[in-house]
Amino acid sequence: MNTECYIDMQKAMLELRNVSKHFSGIPAVDNASFIARAGEVTGYLGPNGSGKSTTIKMITGLIEMTYGQILFSGKPIHDDLIAYKRRMGYVPEEPYLYTHLSGAEYLTMVSQLRDLPPRQSAERIDGLLRLFSLYDDRHASISGYSKGMRQKVLLIAALLHNPDLILLDEPFSGLDVASALVLRSLIQELASRGKVVLFSSHELDTVERICSHIVILHRAKLVADDSIEHLRSLMQLSTLERIFAQLAVEQDSPAIARQMVELIDA
Amino acid sequence: MRKLIERFIAQLPLDFRVLYRQFLLRVIDLEALSIQADIPRFLGQFAGVLLMLSLVHMIGIYASLSFARSPEAFLAVSWYFEHYLIATMMLVVGLFTVVAWDSTFPDRRDAMILAPLPIATRTMLFAKIASSCSIWLLAIVTLNFASGFVLPLLLGSAHGGFPGFLRWLFAYWLTMIAASSFVYGSVLTVQGLTVLLLPRRLFLRLSAILQLASFGIFLGVYFLQPSLSSPPVLAEPQNQWIFASSPSFWFFALFNQLNGTLQPELNWLAHRAWIGLGFVSAGSLASLLLCYVHTMQKTIEQPDLVPGARGLHWAPRLGGSLTTAIGYFTLRSLIRSRQHRVAYAFYLAIVCAIALSVARGALAAPGPGAVTRGFLMSTFMMILFAVVGLSRVFALPISLTANWVLRVAQLRPTEKYFSATRQSLLLIAAVPWWIVAAALSLSFRPVHQVAAHLAILAVIGSVLADLSLIGFSKVPFTCSYLPGKSNIQYVFWCFAMAVIPIVALAADYELHALNHPRDLIGLGFVLGPAAWGLWAFNRHRAKSAVLYYEERPEEVITTLGLIAPRSFVGHGDGYTEIKHES
Repeated sequence: MNTECYIDMQKAMLELRNVSKHFSGIPAVDNASFIARAGEVTGYLGPNGSGKSTTIKMITGLIEMTYGQILFSGKPIHDDLIAYKRRMGYVPEEPYLYTHLSGAEYLTMVSQLRDLPPRQSAERIDGLLRLFSLYDDRHASISGYSKGMRQKVLLIAALLHNPDLILLDEPFSGLDVASALVLRSLIQELASRGKVVLFSSHELDTVERICSHIVILHRAKLVADDSIEHLRSLMQLSTLERIFAQLAVEQDSPAIARQMVELIDA
Repeated sequence: MRKLIERFIAQLPLDFRVLYRQFLLRVIDLEALSIQADIPRFLGQFAGVLLMLSLVHMIGIYASLSFARSPEAFLAVSWYFEHYLIATMMLVVGLFTVVAWDSTFPDRRDAMILAPLPIATRTMLFAKIASSCSIWLLAIVTLNFASGFVLPLLLGSAHGGFPGFLRWLFAYWLTMIAASSFVYGSVLTVQGLTVLLLPRRLFLRLSAILQLASFGIFLGVYFLQPSLSSPPVLAEPQNQWIFASSPSFWFFALFNQLNGTLQPELNWLAHRAWIGLGFVSAGSLASLLLCYVHTMQKTIEQPDLVPGARGLHWAPRLGGSLTTAIGYFTLRSLIRSRQHRVAYAFYLAIVCAIALSVARGALAAPGPGAVTRGFLMSTFMMILFAVVGLSRVFALPISLTANWVLRVAQLRPTEKYFSATRQSLLLIAAVPWWIVAAALSLSFRPVHQVAAHLAILAVIGSVLADLSLIGFSKVPFTCSYLPGKSNIQYVFWCFAMAVIPIVALAADYELHALNHPRDLIGLGFVLGPAAWGLWAFNRHRAKSAVLYYEERPEEVITTLGLIAPRSFVGHGDGYTEIKHES
């Protein structure tokens, strides 16, 4: 067994304990607690502005939490943030990159910042660029890349150091159908190899297919934290879309659409 | 007056007014600035520098003309100032056109946002021209507000009382506007032709090179062209090609033609000014019109994506992996980002001008000469401008939103980042110009003095790098910059008034030490520990520092002063407590 690929599934888990984040006194995330275990894909869902990306940024260490504790493998991440960052890969919500660099230059820079062995990182970069069909454009400036190409660069940068914890914030954004299918399989493959995968998305079909466990956030508070199967039987609803609509959607969508059209027509 | 202006503005179409305001703020690219940038204040600071320059010019004109005893000396001084003021005006407008490069032409952003809206192309064109001209007129007025009255007052009155003053005043301002239009129009014509003739991909590549070339030409011509000293110099046959090819002399002749003092043998220069002005006006107008009519669609259709260069992509390591990452990130940002390239080109142009002037002197000499004060000063200034300039440019961010990757991948302590930044500064700024200084020093003797100077120069480079990195706990090009925070006008004048005399004194002392071995050893004993001490100080500070990506606002404690007397007791956590002393 490849020890680098297979990690201790018992120890590797991400745990949030009563995590809150307030901006000027207004809670963006309020008392969130959940566990993302190794070997499973945890879906993190919520409407726009519910606090998903804020939670993920707190997990990456990019922003400080107001209260609470985040633990990885049983240890608070802020005890040794550098050691924690070595084990974490992150794909942000927006594909913000240094656009004056080429794809290959950006990835090389990330591998150097992470102090990866040059030969090994060069092989990984080349291999991943080929598998993501970016190899031919690797020397072109990122400023000319499409949104999907940028998303692929972000994904490669997040996986380059073989992280134990993978945080994916809207990873399917901008990807074409073929790449999305590859990514879907990739996420499942990574989880099956013992990685902790936290996956935030609005694509409920995809979440339903690849996630074994979901956490739903609504108005900064957790409203569900369970397996999809258990939620289905508990709420007696057939699809994740219906579960989500019941828990996190307060509005009458057809009525709103009708009002919009009436407003334009008036 | 204000009501009249407001009424005039109200008469303008609303879409023009909205676009004008947007384009005015974008004449200086806001992407390089933080969102808290106070643009009017930022422009105000530049206007402040120009106003101060104008005041200095005024004092210089008044003092020099007062001390001119003979009519020949009076004529030489007045000619010198007339040419100097015109050349400076052309330089300022030239630098402005370089900073605002491409801002008059529609870019991809304009095309994508404005093309779907019901806005006429001519409205965009007029709004762009009006916004560029506003800044350009601001530069003309502020740079000449004092000298533009004193020179006509002193010289015009001497040539014919109050009518003479009025004629000189008219001639002065018309010449300044004409000279500025010539520079602005020339750049527009060249840009317009490249936009029209080249495919967009090639244009994007060539535009960057043209921008730097223009920068070099403006500064190079300004620093290297001879000044007028007397009418005989102007008449010398070997100088004719310089006058014929330098537009500042054409406009000098135009000024004299307009104020009625032009000597007949210089008529041809004034004619050149008129012809040049006409040619450039027609060229810029035609290229602007053609660009707006023909290239808007081209801009939308053709992608900005420039394919990567084929062939070798070898990038040797510059040390450790972090040093290599930061070194290449710095180098690529400097080469590929327009804002950073232009900002550093300003310093490099000064360095190049100094190097060229030393090289010109060395080439003109019949053989190797003794080490001079001028040579020592020039090489000091080269290293100073290169190192300090690059460290200032480091503070301009390239993409704040992309900084997350550095924060997520920050796996090493701050001191390692500091060390990598310092090495980048030395490698990119100090080492290349030290090599140039070494090449220039080949024309000086004796060899041991030259070698000693180069060793001192290397230590000075290290000292300057450490001095400019005191308090710099950032990765180059990643921290938000708050323009307006640094008072440019004060920095500019402090530099001019303090640094140049200090460099002159240092060169004097070094020249003395080079001829007295004991003093040279003493100098080494001072410089060596100073360099080591600064390096150790920065390293020690970096150990406890935290890398930051947002410019931290200054902590301000405001009290109402209602209770007195009082004392402030500081606490480790940054809070303060007020206690009564009684």
